[in-house]
Amino acid sequence: MTMNPSDPANFSRRAFLKGASVAAVGSRVGTEFSKGAELDKSSSILDKGSHPITLQVNGSKRELKIETRSTLLDALRDSLDLTGSKKVCDRGACGACTVLLDGEPVNSCMTLAFDAVDAEITTIEGLARGDELHPMQQAFVEEDALQCGFCTPGMVMSAVACSKRHGGSPSMDQIKNDMSGNICRCGTYPRVFKAIQAAGKEGGR
Amino acid sequence: MKNEHEMRVGFAGDNRKIKVDVPEGDLTPWDLDTKLESVGGRSDRIDAFAKVTGRAKYAYDINLPGMLHGIILRSPHPRGSVKSVDLSKTLDMPGVKAAVVMKQGERNRIRYVGDPVAAIAADTLDQARDALSAIVAEYEIEAHNVELLAAEGAPNLNENNISDPWPVPRPAARRRPADPDMELEVSEADVSAEGTWSMEVQTHSSLESHGNVVWYKKETDSAEIWASTQATFGARQALASALDIPQDRVTVRAEFVGGGFGSKFTPGEEGMACALLSKQANAPVKLMLDRFEEHTCTGNRPSAVIQIRAGAKKDGTVVAWDTRSFGGPGCNGRGGSTSHHTNYFDNAKHRRIHVDLATDTDASRAMRAPGRPQGVFAMEGMMDILAAKCGLDPLAFRLLNDNSELRKAEWQLGAEKFGWAEHYNASPGSGEDPRYLRGAGMASAFWGGMGGGKHRVTCRIHRDGSVESRNGAQDIGTGMKTLMAMLTAEELGISPEQIRVSMGNTNDPPGPASGGSTTTPSLSPAVRHAAGLAKQELGAKVAERLQVDANKIIWQNGHIGLQGGEMIPFQEACKLIGAEPIEATGIRQANYDGYQDNVCGCQFAAVRVDRETGLVLVEKMLGVQDCGLVINQKLAESQVIGAMIEGISYVLHEQRIMDPKQGRMLNGDFANYKIAGTLDMPEMEAIMYSVANGKNNVGAAGLGEPPSTAAPAAVANAVSNALGLPMRSMPITPDKVLAALHSKKK
Ligand code: FES
Ligand code: FES
Repeated sequence: MTMNPSDPANFSRRAFLKGASVAAVGSRVGTEFSKGAELDKSSSILDKGSHPITLQVNGSKRELKIETRSTLLDALRDSLDLTGSKKVCDRGACGACTVLLDGEPVNSCMTLAFDAVDAEITTIEGLARGDELHPMQQAFVEEDALQCGFCTPGMVMSAVACSKRHGGSPSMDQIKNDMSGNICRCGTYPRVFKAIQAAGKEGGR
Repeated sequence: MKNEHEMRVGFAGDNRKIKVDVPEGDLTPWDLDTKLESVGGRSDRIDAFAKVTGRAKYAYDINLPGMLHGIILRSPHPRGSVKSVDLSKTLDMPGVKAAVVMKQGERNRIRYVGDPVAAIAADTLDQARDALSAIVAEYEIEAHNVELLAAEGAPNLNENNISDPWPVPRPAARRRPADPDMELEVSEADVSAEGTWSMEVQTHSSLESHGNVVWYKKETDSAEIWASTQATFGARQALASALDIPQDRVTVRAEFVGGGFGSKFTPGEEGMACALLSKQANAPVKLMLDRFEEHTCTGNRPSAVIQIRAGAKKDGTVVAWDTRSFGGPGCNGRGGSTSHHTNYFDNAKHRRIHVDLATDTDASRAMRAPGRPQGVFAMEGMMDILAAKCGLDPLAFRLLNDNSELRKAEWQLGAEKFGWAEHYNASPGSGEDPRYLRGAGMASAFWGGMGGGKHRVTCRIHRDGSVESRNGAQDIGTGMKTLMAMLTAEELGISPEQIRVSMGNTNDPPGPASGGSTTTPSLSPAVRHAAGLAKQELGAKVAERLQVDANKIIWQNGHIGLQGGEMIPFQEACKLIGAEPIEATGIRQANYDGYQDNVCGCQFAAVRVDRETGLVLVEKMLGVQDCGLVINQKLAESQVIGAMIEGISYVLHEQRIMDPKQGRMLNGDFANYKIAGTLDMPEMEAIMYSVANGKNNVGAAGLGEPPSTAAPAAVANAVSNALGLPMRSMPITPDKVLAALHSKKK
């Protein structure tokens, strides 16, 4: 996050919304959170090594320099400041780092960044259209399928893939199976199951 | 000055009017007769949008220009001392910018595998990792022990797993209450039983690991810190001292925290290291632990051996309860205590003695209801054994002995909703299904968590109609931010979506550490108080405008004005405010005597045990839980369900496995340290039982811990019911189940 943390004004990038519109977007305005700024392309943060690479992330081409051993997760988080994908185990055992490669879910901690050059990468940041939530994200909000929220981005990505794989109406067994690689310490699983069911046809969009 | 006030308290089955002393300046407390709009509803979590979009920034996610990455060299030996640390080579490695020794001089003891020895910071994490291997550390190694039952003072267990002789407590043992006649009491009961329960170390396994980003700035001799913490103000104090600068120059932020469960009360040695590195390099440093460090160096729930002897009269009344426990708190040698509530034997002779045994392992820390799930696992196990000996169903036995009227109501409600009669296996250990045995179990919850302290909350109302509620403590995932919005909205008669909440910044008013299930009960009265004071100020402005007396002003449906007269919408009324917003500071007053000082609850579980594989699957689980006034039903249920899941995980899967030779954890990762996942999930339900506790102007009580005290016991009792044998060692893994099944065949 390139920002000036001493400036209290960067708490929120949204003006207070009034009247009828408040209810509609309420969950988006009610809490203060630091700005995830668009990264300045010239920033040294992009250079974590000497090997140039181009990744296609959330619909745009990103050029960066990394070490050949960099995982996709590290490239996303540390070079591109896309910190929605979380690093929890760094060993493919928790699913918190799940992103979509050409629509298929992968653990980005188990994928070398160089192995993702030809793929279209979708991260949690690329799911919503601006501030309009993806139906799966909306379902997570409504079903309260999150507590601390640290597993949530990975859960949402796996949920989208699960919904898509089963034509928007996965059975409970299919949900449990497909989501079994995502762990949550706060214990949100039953709410996650409900959210996937509630998202319905649009959940795998 | 206090004002006597009459309020209606209690719960559905038992409500009454009591008199409380409300401190001068406090608001009229809500009670059973109060009609509430937002509070008690099912609002969405206020920060859900930030979390589902990945925009929420946790400490781990902070990237700053020129930020370095820190890493810690940890001892590979469990016990000894550090003779020397040579950093000269590592400082020459590419990218390395700072290095500190963490064990030297007097403070050179090594207490467990993973004890920090040195720390370095480099431009990238890869460089830092590479440079770690260039540190040369020399150790003086001593003999170690990592096993509880091999520790000094450990009990001798006979073939029945009973300590023989029943150990005499050492002087260090804690007795409460002391009762020298226990031996007699147990032996003279009509029926008696004894048994030993044991459990392994559980790690907190928060998904966001421990760590900080510390940005020390030499020019101003100040620091900005992002911490993964359960105590922002405690973190500021500790890190200011590590940086050797005054606290007023340190800001700690924890806007989002990826779990803590009791392990994140202090910034720990990783925080100290991060601070020192940042100061040395005069640059921001991120130091987050990896998963192995998280499992092995950030505390845990201690292992324990618990022995109980208990007796009852023929009719089922418990008359004696004698508990002795041994806890394994690791290298600190204390903090491993287990405990239980006494509601089943408040009227019987009872005693509890605990002894801690030190081992050369990572020190335990508070973990979600410290000591309770362990103690309740043993206690509820013994309850079922005694019930069977008295020829009573577990439910009947509990209804007979439970001293809590509230929980009795909960037992009845829960048993009915769960279908106890249908799920309980009346001939334990048998069943028609050739493959699966089935059974059901239950357990009680109990906790304090009424909150207190002297916390402050700020409420601001701006001219444009926007409203803020601010406190500097953290929301670790419980939903406190959402509750602040709901409480403020309730007081102001507007909707929760109109409130902006800030938590997790030490520039805001002081709030509590999140422990003991006290954040909600501690802060809520101050949140409401702040809103109430701000409301009075706005009301006064409206009165002035309408030229009436301020105490004639009423608030209704988002409007302010006169009963039957002119009513101004909230938004319009705010235009009476000038450029400076209304700002009010709410104060957490002391609790009243009130109606109830603790929370109760109960849980039921139904399981299926595979006779062939020994695998246990929980098929259904239900919890009934009170927590005073339930502010948000949806979030409260989420927390209860979460606690039940953690309990399933603890009782069926979780155990730290140590290599006695190396003294090292063998399963310090999520592939081998198993926590419950989607495939372990039963059908689950949480029923919130609202109680007006008369403790303060809101009457909320803690919720994080109470439900986690009951869950492992409920599942264990269900497995015992299915097998027809008491399962007294957790985790109840397939090998133990198969051994139990095998023992029955003999
Ligand atoms: S961080 Fe990638 S699977 Fe855990
Ligand atoms: S919500 Fe906290 S880990 Fe899943």
